[in-house]
Amino acid sequence: MGNLPESHYKLDKLHMIFALLALVLLGSLGGLFMKDYSRDWKDYQKRFRVMEIEKARVKQDAESITLNEDTAYQDLLKSIEESKKTIEANCSHFETNNEKLTNFQTKYDIENQKYKQTKADLDATRFLLEESKSHHDSDLQINQQTFDTLNEQTNALALSVENLDTQIKNEEAQYKACKAELTELERNARSIMGTQNVIQRKLDRIDPNEMSLANQLANLIRDLPIIDLSNPNNKIQQIVLKDITDDVIFTQIPKVDRCITCHLGITNKDYEDAPQPFKTHPNLDLFMANDSAHPIEEFGCTICHQGRGRGTSFNSTAHTPQTPQQKREWEENYNWERMHHWDKPMFPVKYSQASCFKCHSGEANIAGAEKLNTGLKIIEKAGCYNCHEIDKYTEWPKSGPDLTKIKSKISKEFAYKWIKDPTSFRHNTWMPSYFNQSNNDDDVSKKRSEQEILAMTHFLFAQSEDYSLEKVKKKGKFENGEKLVASIGCLACHEVKPQADEALTSVDSLRRQHGPNLIGLASKTSKEWIFDWIKNPTRYHPETRMPNLRLSDQEAADIVAYLTQERNTEFDNQVVPGMDPIILDDIALNFLTRVNTKEQANDKLVSMTSDQKLFFSGEKLISQYGCYACHNIKGFEDAKKIGTELTEEGDKSVNKLDFGYIHKEHTKIAWFEEKLKDPRIFDKHKEKAPGDKLIMPNFNLSQEEVESVTTAILGFVNTKTVAKKSKARTPENLFQEKGADLIKQLNCQSCHIIEGEGRTIAPSIEEWLVKYEKETEADAAKYKDNMSPPDLHGIGKKLNTEFLFNFLHSPDQTIRPWLSVRMPSYTFNVDHLNMLIQYFQTIDGETRPYRDQVNTDLTKKEYTAAENLFSVENLDCQKCHVVGSKNPSGTKDTWAPDLSFAQQRLKPEWVIEWIKNPTSLMPGTKMPTFFDPDDFENSGPETILDGNENEQIRVLRNYLMSLADKKPDLKEKKKQTPPPPVVPIAVPIVVEPPTEQQP
Amino acid sequence: MEQIKDFINIISAPQISFTAIILLFFFIFPPNDLFYKIHRGLRIHKLWTKGGGITIFSFLTIFFIFGITDQNFRMIVTKPDNVPIVALLYLVVFFLWFSLKQAYDNDKRIDEGKGPNEAEDAKQKVLVWPDLVYIELIAMVSVAALLLVWAVALGAPLEEPANPTVSPNPSKAPWYFLGLQEMLVYFDPWIAGVLFPTVIMLGFISIPFLDNNRKGSGYFTFKERKMAISIFLFFWLVLWIFLITTGTFLRGPNWNFFGPFEYWDKHKLVALTNVNLSELFYMVWQNKQLPSNILLREMPGFLLVGAYLGLLPLILAKTLFKKVYERLGPIRYSVFIIFLLIAISLPIKMYLRWGFNIKYLVSIPEFFFNI
Repeated sequence: MGNLPESHYKLDKLHMIFALLALVLLGSLGGLFMKDYSRDWKDYQKRFRVMEIEKARVKQDAESITLNEDTAYQDLLKSIEESKKTIEANCSHFETNNEKLTNFQTKYDIENQKYKQTKADLDATRFLLEESKSHHDSDLQINQQTFDTLNEQTNALALSVENLDTQIKNEEAQYKACKAELTELERNARSIMGTQNVIQRKLDRIDPNEMSLANQLANLIRDLPIIDLSNPNNKIQQIVLKDITDDVIFTQIPKVDRCITCHLGITNKDYEDAPQPFKTHPNLDLFMANDSAHPIEEFGCTICHQGRGRGTSFNSTAHTPQTPQQKREWEENYNWERMHHWDKPMFPVKYSQASCFKCHSGEANIAGAEKLNTGLKIIEKAGCYNCHEIDKYTEWPKSGPDLTKIKSKISKEFAYKWIKDPTSFRHNTWMPSYFNQSNNDDDVSKKRSEQEILAMTHFLFAQSEDYSLEKVKKKGKFENGEKLVASIGCLACHEVKPQADEALTSVDSLRRQHGPNLIGLASKTSKEWIFDWIKNPTRYHPETRMPNLRLSDQEAADIVAYLTQERNTEFDNQVVPGMDPIILDDIALNFLTRVNTKEQANDKLVSMTSDQKLFFSGEKLISQYGCYACHNIKGFEDAKKIGTELTEEGDKSVNKLDFGYIHKEHTKIAWFEEKLKDPRIFDKHKEKAPGDKLIMPNFNLSQEEVESVTTAILGFVNTKTVAKKSKARTPENLFQEKGADLIKQLNCQSCHIIEGEGRTIAPSIEEWLVKYEKETEADAAKYKDNMSPPDLHGIGKKLNTEFLFNFLHSPDQTIRPWLSVRMPSYTFNVDHLNMLIQYFQTIDGETRPYRDQVNTDLTKKEYTAAENLFSVENLDCQKCHVVGSKNPSGTKDTWAPDLSFAQQRLKPEWVIEWIKNPTSLMPGTKMPTFFDPDDFENSGPETILDGNENEQIRVLRNYLMSLADKKPDLKEKKKQTPPPPVVPIAVPIVVEPPTEQQP
Repeated sequence: MEQIKDFINIISAPQISFTAIILLFFFIFPPNDLFYKIHRGLRIHKLWTKGGGITIFSFLTIFFIFGITDQNFRMIVTKPDNVPIVALLYLVVFFLWFSLKQAYDNDKRIDEGKGPNEAEDAKQKVLVWPDLVYIELIAMVSVAALLLVWAVALGAPLEEPANPTVSPNPSKAPWYFLGLQEMLVYFDPWIAGVLFPTVIMLGFISIPFLDNNRKGSGYFTFKERKMAISIFLFFWLVLWIFLITTGTFLRGPNWNFFGPFEYWDKHKLVALTNVNLSELFYMVWQNKQLPSNILLREMPGFLLVGAYLGLLPLILAKTLFKKVYERLGPIRYSVFIIFLLIAISLPIKMYLRWGFNIKYLVSIPEFFFNI
């Protein structure tokens, strides 16, 4: 261009600048492409492909070795060779016939084309003809002629096409028949080679060495920038879920999970030992796999794990490390940093179970989620729901004992010491500690706490009703009491454990702690009170969950003697301080000034006696600390819950949680954990008036317990995003939910196995067998199950509804006389009874509570046959079953229920099924299978009732039903009216479902 | 090092920094001959030379480099939304320096009787190609490259899905409105949010009508337009850029003030003990109850505002702005002085707040009217 003289600038310099800037622009454009093109997930996919090829090759090698060693396959190959030769010899003439076939084919094609064209002309002419008919046109005649000619031609052509087709098929069929053997052999060979073929096809697709040249070329370029828009090897994989949504506040959008873009081996068993992110998901039977309960295509990943499903890089998916060590590793390896702008970061793996609650909140026991179950159980046990509203627990009863008659149970001194530090009396109590905590353990607060507790105790005792206690009627014996406690079932709910142990908390251990640990009771209450209590718990506390074990006066006296043996001297020696008028005045004044002016408050205070001050302050303090939430206290019947609602606590955004001056990373998990470990921790360094301090009490939870409860709280979330996946709120499901709740509240599963869970009493039964029944340890282990209360599997189908109702109402029939553990009497109301019956029937799939009446009459002949079957010669039922007062002849571990109750207890249809095939109704039952279901026709004794098995079972059933009667009424001639046919009923539910709270 | 940071934290409090800037301002940008003499005497004019420019830039850069070593400073400055604002600060300083350098060069030439540089330019002719188009092309390419690098290096500051129940703390306007938001600390919303923006617009519109001084037209000069440039820069730098900078970098949670090296603690609590003028007048000074009559109650405020906008222009016309009045004539003078006084009311109000905790001069919450 040259340097123009007119120019104001030095052009050479400008050229330089321009060139330089152009390069910079090019460079930044390149950078833009690079940044857009280079993605971590592509590297992961490349690495995975290498692994995939390697694994496929190994598999293929293994497969070909197996094939080579497979003689059947080798033989097959040989026969194929031979067959080929035979065919060459026999079917060669067909080869020469090929020309003929080709001729046919050509003719067919030509004729067929002609036919189609003529047909088209015919159709067109039909239209012309019809039109001219309707218009009475002049060319009607001509059209009619053309149509007729064409019609004829079409028919002729159709015929010739058909003929040709038949000829061709004939020829082909002959050739096929000649080759049939070879075809069959080849098909066999293919099916043997099936796996190898699949692997080979896969290798052809992914392994460059096995690809065709064209594919190799494509493989080289398909991942290049820009070209990769068509069909690259490496691409983002995603699962779009229409019925699970992400909540973006103003709307719900379908969930899109791209996790499988990097977690490539997640559903493939072969990658169990592969490094992350390729590792197989644990427990494929439950998750991910197509035949599992949670297939990945229907559930995706982030519904459980949380995190940002649409993210495709390590950070943008909001991964969360589990431990500080993992955090450091991640920071080093992946430049990990917390993604602050995502409200639901991934759960650290140890909290993943929280998400189970989203959909399974109605289930009593969520299979496979032990941590969550434990967390929920702790919440139930600790009674978190008493202070904090939690939807699941709105109908649960208060956790603590009734305090309205406290005067008759304990002394003021005991109450003082107990409130001050419950653990000093009972190391594993569930009464939490309010005092001497991190925000009130300074000297001033301690002094104040003493006066506060004095005021509360004063109030409780002043409010207490009178309650008359009788003298213990008999003289009790300590040894007998100890034995009774060990044997009749007290240990299902109570422990007698003077020392703390290190056992981990689990659902089972909490079942054993359903009631208080029975230690040091002499320091706590009087013999008279315990006697009165165990004789009839509901007299003292009408809503108690403690049942009545129907103790005789002597038994009760023995137990009282045992329980009141021990004192807790250390606890006894604690000193109860006197009243400090100055501090008490300050406490009272503090409450008075809340609703009064200073002057009014002072006037009121001066006019109060010290008792009045104590009473007034006590009432206010109980209201402040929320004692009434767990205990019945007179005057607080309608008081509201004092805690934050927790129903959707897991959704709470972290900026609504006050960390105060605690320097922890601001995450929900950290806050929940700190709060549970030390509920007062966020008061640290804060200047607060006594009434403004945090008051949540300390449950002294261990680290494991804290984690479990945190898991549960994280699971308390709004469920609208999974509404379509959750269990439908059908009446059946509600029966199950409510019944399971009641069963948990009453701790039925500490004795019984229900839905496969429970019978935590068994170890204590075993101990009792060794200690008092002098069984050897081996025998005790063998007997313990049968000496424990029964498994309730299938009772909804098995038991008569009326019997179930009556038995639950008052369990006074002894079905299993060999058990020393007793079914206690509960004071159920009719709602509870219905709930339980509906529950048992629903879980067992019994849709009709009442059945047709079945005629169980027997003729004389049948009776004899049945007796014969029942006897030692045949089924020998009495080897295991108790009948009336007659004990079975077998060992204790095989004893079975009293058959004289069969008529009352059992549904006749069920008995038939039971005798036929007990294991199908109750897997693992001790009841022998007398009639082999695989060879039913020949399973019964041939000599009885002509060897008719169905008849044998029927008469045996009728015989069992007659065992209760002393003299069975035998009919000469059997008159059995067939039951009326079952008419399907439109509304199967007979009983009102429990009321459901509509959201 | 910590002492330096603490010192900077303390002096950046608006009470101190604002006062310091106002005090220094008229020596750096002298409005009249007296200040100009001192300005020259203190050799402050050296700032507008190459050496001065390098000093200013080095100082600014050293400050940022020093600051970035501090975690709290780094957190605020490197937020993706704040990075461009830091760059804007540099641009403001650059263009200020660049224009003043040319102005001072011209002043020197005019003193020597040579006429401004631009006069020389005007005599010459340049070609569209290459002088204009080439330069535009280069600018285009460099801006394109800059935008690409910026886009690649800094991700868009996307946040979580909007949630009506969670408001960000602090809630900040876009950076260009932060000056207005900062004014809300001192004024009622209708003044800071409605009146002031309107007055600013009208002020801009009226400049060509008010400014009948032909000097400096078409060329840079300071000496010939001391007063005009000084007033303009006062509004631009002190009442706009300073407020935006404060609003962006120094206002944290709950709109509390935080020094550049201070941690943005959500719990920080600052006592708010502001009173209205009427309360001060009747209750504090005279120990009387507030009159129930609204007009009587707010009389002191009305009188003060009336005097400020009614009386002060007259006094100024006779004294300080005598020359201006003579040059502009009564109508243009009135318009000019009203705009000027309204603008100056901002720093006045700031000082009333800091000095006397005055919230409003006139406060009639009954009619949502506060001044």
